Amino acid sequence: MMAGFEPQIIAFCCNWCTYAAADLAGTSRMHYPPNVRIVRVMCSGMVDPIYVLKAFEGGVDGILVAGCHLTDCHYIDGPVKCDETVNKLREVLHVLGLEDKRLRREMVAASEGVLFAQVINEMVEDLKKLGPSPFKAKTEALA
Amino acid sequence: MEVLSPYKEATDVILEAGGEPLKLCYQCGLCTGTCPWNTVRSFIVRRMMREAQMGATDFGSEDVWTCVTCRACVKRCPRGVEIIDVIRAIRRAVASMGIGVVPDALRISAKNIAGVGNPLGEAPEKRNDWAGELKVKDFAPGTDVLYFPCCVPSYDPDVKGVARSTAAILDKLGVDYGLIGTDAKCCGEAIRKAGHEETFQSLAQSNINLFTESGVKTVLVSSPHCYHTFKAEYPELGGQYEVVHVTQYLAELIEKGDLKFSRKLEKKVIYSDPCYLGRHNDIYDEPRAVLKAIPGVELLEFPDAREEGLCCGGGGGRIWMDTPKGERFSDIRTEQAAEMGAEVIAVACPYCVLNYRDSVLSMGKGEAIQVKDVAELVAEAI
Amino acid sequence: MEEIRTGVYICHCGLTIAGVVNVEELTEYAESLPNVVVSREYRYMCSDPGQDLIKKDIKELGLNRVVVASCSPRMHEPTFRKTVEDGGLNPYLYEHANIREHCSWVHDDKELATKKSKDLVRAAVKRVFHHESLVTREIPLNPNVLVIGGGIAGMQAALDIADGHNKVYLVERDPSIGGHMAQLDRTFPTLDCSECILTPKMGDVGHHPFIELLTYSEVEEVSGSIGDFKVKVRKKARHIDESKCIGCNLCEEKCPWKTDSEFEAGMAKRKAVYIPFAQAIPNIAVVDADLCAYIQSDGKKCGACIKLCDAGAITPETLLKQTDEIVELEVGTIIVATGYDQFDPSVIPQYGYKKYDNVLTGLEFERITCAAGPTEGKIVTKDGRPVESIGIVHCVGSRDENYHEYCSRVCCMYGLKYAHLSKEMANADVYEFYIDMRCFGEGYEEFYKRLSEEGVNFVRGKVARITDEAQTDEEQGKLIVVSEDTLLGKMIRVPVDMVILCSALEARSDAENVGKVFNINRRADGFFLERHVKLDPVATPTDGVYIAGCCEAPRDIPDTVAQAEAAAGKALSLISKGTVTLEAAISTVDEAICHGCGRCEEICAFSAPNVVTKNGTLVSSVNEALCKGCGSCAVVCPTGAIAIKHFTQDEILAQVSALTEA
Repeated sequence: MMAGFEPQIIAFCCNWCTYAAADLAGTSRMHYPPNVRIVRVMCSGMVDPIYVLKAFEGGVDGILVAGCHLTDCHYIDGPVKCDETVNKLREVLHVLGLEDKRLRREMVAASEGVLFAQVINEMVEDLKKLGPSPFKAKTEALA
Repeated sequence: MEVLSPYKEATDVILEAGGEPLKLCYQCGLCTGTCPWNTVRSFIVRRMMREAQMGATDFGSEDVWTCVTCRACVKRCPRGVEIIDVIRAIRRAVASMGIGVVPDALRISAKNIAGVGNPLGEAPEKRNDWAGELKVKDFAPGTDVLYFPCCVPSYDPDVKGVARSTAAILDKLGVDYGLIGTDAKCCGEAIRKAGHEETFQSLAQSNINLFTESGVKTVLVSSPHCYHTFKAEYPELGGQYEVVHVTQYLAELIEKGDLKFSRKLEKKVIYSDPCYLGRHNDIYDEPRAVLKAIPGVELLEFPDAREEGLCCGGGGGRIWMDTPKGERFSDIRTEQAAEMGAEVIAVACPYCVLNYRDSVLSMGKGEAIQVKDVAELVAEAI
Repeated sequence: MEEIRTGVYICHCGLTIAGVVNVEELTEYAESLPNVVVSREYRYMCSDPGQDLIKKDIKELGLNRVVVASCSPRMHEPTFRKTVEDGGLNPYLYEHANIREHCSWVHDDKELATKKSKDLVRAAVKRVFHHESLVTREIPLNPNVLVIGGGIAGMQAALDIADGHNKVYLVERDPSIGGHMAQLDRTFPTLDCSECILTPKMGDVGHHPFIELLTYSEVEEVSGSIGDFKVKVRKKARHIDESKCIGCNLCEEKCPWKTDSEFEAGMAKRKAVYIPFAQAIPNIAVVDADLCAYIQSDGKKCGACIKLCDAGAITPETLLKQTDEIVELEVGTIIVATGYDQFDPSVIPQYGYKKYDNVLTGLEFERITCAAGPTEGKIVTKDGRPVESIGIVHCVGSRDENYHEYCSRVCCMYGLKYAHLSKEMANADVYEFYIDMRCFGEGYEEFYKRLSEEGVNFVRGKVARITDEAQTDEEQGKLIVVSEDTLLGKMIRVPVDMVILCSALEARSDAENVGKVFNINRRADGFFLERHVKLDPVATPTDGVYIAGCCEAPRDIPDTVAQAEAAAGKALSLISKGTVTLEAAISTVDEAICHGCGRCEEICAFSAPNVVTKNGTLVSSVNEALCKGCGSCAVVCPTGAIAIKHFTQDEILAQVSALTEA
């Protein structure tokens, strides 16, 4: 673990559930570390692998892809499609030598503000243990 | 007129000592109503919480030492207040800061534990003498199971049978087990609840070092108190083991068909749930499964069994303190058991063994009722 | 390409943002970002002067992109899109940065929160660069409304809408409308009889020319969206010819098969063929097929009702051949008012419910005091003894994290009502065990005072147990309520003849399924989640679906009626506009690069894209009326030909890359 290392996280959150859960965490004043930046998508099934890969290429340490539970989807089966995308991505990340824990897939319902805060807390903990993304070092070396 | 000024420092002392959960209390009094003490004397748990919130705790009061940490109130508390943690914090404030008086009996046990590593004040080198002719081997790296009997069965002549029965069963089954060296110390569960945090920390660290050096992976315990502290409290201090209570171990062997009985015990047996096995760790079924498996045993149940089970009175350091006749929970239980026609009160905790044997003797029921640990009953029937 | 001129507006939100985020520093930073022409901060951007700032800048500085950093876009994105539109820009040339819910409310390190806000604003600025003008579409709204649940909430909503001459389908699961309110005896704090105020409304609903009542029916499936829902309703077989039944009740009198009456909370029996209660609407019988011997024996046994029914409403045909019917409805809006369940106190063993005969729930006591109930309005024990003393236990299953953490809101008041009735009808000694008295409504505190005058004993303490184990002669044959009197600091034991448990209202056991059918989320406590707790309390995240009454949270009758009227108002406002604005952010195909492979067609859950032949080549074509904009087609498209407007790869990647520049 690096002293003082603060991981950088991007979270792709679906508009209907997880984005709302993050809002609820806010209205309930649940504190979690400021390491995460949320990108709002309409559905977790909308998350294109290229978004995740580009984000890693840009040097983020961890990515959360989160949306509705299987049965809550606004678009019937978005979470299933999202699972497929994430599973494919895991294989790619493995080839690229990125640890599994850097990509987290969660289903967080609109009412689960507590869970959202908990997921972020856990990710920050996990990523602190893993240290900076190997891609970050490369990006910085090039810069 | 006496007017209270909230004394924030007193509240802070308790909060710092681990009384944080106190803040949630909304003073409904369900803890008082649930507390078994109020069937025999007055003990207003809610008021202790209120006094602590307002910095009005009477650190000199006898009530500080009354709670048996049976967890009945915590299980029901509508706000999830860990009342035992608050009481422990109040006691800790007294014990470590000298702002009140530690009862004499408790002080002697605390001194013994800190000095020689057991509450009875016995010599450390005699810790494993209970085994005698059973010749139990010392635990060495590679041994499957460490058997840790607790100080009471190790030293108390009346309770040695618990450890000896357990060893006899393990021998018969050919289990690869051993005893840790005589450097082992009291697990520290009860002395911690009695507010002696520093003593606990030093006991725990010493045991963890010993276990780690010896390569311990699985600990088999006779006492639910050892079980609780090894399982719930040692991991925070770096000691991670698989902890198994004897009743769990036996239940699993019976289920697998590895433990067979050869004798019948034609007895009416009533089981009293130890608080630290039941409410603290949700182990209710295994001891009953073991008793039911013994041929001939007719298992009776107290009307208030399992989650509702009455404490024997020995938790939270009360095992070392005197409880006046008429206020002893184990007496109430023994009376109940006699009324129900039980011939044996079965328990699964050395403190329960001590308290119930004392009750049976002092109530003159020695002829009618025996007190046995589950392991003792099993040993008799194999 | 035109020059991109962006304006950035940072909201203080009073101190809720400005107290944590350094808004001056943030504003200065925003001004340094590419294409940003102006950056301003203001105390409340959503206020009129705040919005005017934006409109003025659009005109005077020629802005063609706007970013506001404030609260959640789920709150104010629509507000600022409107502002931008009023200022003369297309509303989609707008981007929102959430620096309140996602930043100032969850972080307290000012420096880090300011840094995060800068990142979020930068990402918004880079994203808005790629935004394009989009055109929203209007579709006609079907003016028919579906109301689910025939309790007081559903009835009130249905009446309000139907009185405006709009067609309402009211679907009720039970054989009669009326809901829980029909079971209540008197209502607090006015003590007017529940039946007297409810039954006229039930009659109005039953006879209303604009209300079509579907009782003994359940919604099975909802498809479509706001303005154009298609609903399948299962109309359960009553095994009665509804057109012939005159409600004479002869069949029930003679039917020999009995079970517990649901309406009487199990305190009386009903028959296999029955009318649930005297004022039932519709006043026609229903056959409980599981209990009816004729149906169970396939016509070999009994059949008494067939012989007795002069109207010919019950025949071998109706009993044996009638089956459930699926009714298909088309509506534009839906109001869900499915009500609550009463918490079952038998899960609290120390209260002895179901163990002791005279420990009752609130609903059971309602039936006891009701003149038409099982005891004809006499407060007596199960074995008919008069009741001299009563214990009323508050917060049973509520304000308790072992059961429900929330306050159930109605129990203090209905507990007081029981105290009054016990005094008035039985002259009983009343002991009311409470933790806090919550009497907040109109006339409620006054009612509490009145009960004090009537001599009710209020004991502050949560009851620990109820037992029949007497310790004194006085306690013999009584139930003893054991509690700490927390104001005395003493344990007390109160011997009483009857105990009423003020059981919490909880979410219905099938709320999860109902939520799925209508696409409504639930809170952690199981009740339906409103779109915004303060500002949009009857809307749900699904456009066109509204909620009212106790399906949303425990509430009393006045609040339920007010909420039902609010939901009706929402529906009426849509009907009055007559059209629905549909989302413009849907998928679009670049036919120049589309190969017509059909992956989009395969993955779409709404069958929006179809591969067609255009000018001799295969290309995908999107039906805009069907597309919901979920974006799964864009993920699978191998050529990148299909994209979601407003959520294009360019837009999201711009945002992502802005976030990775640290």
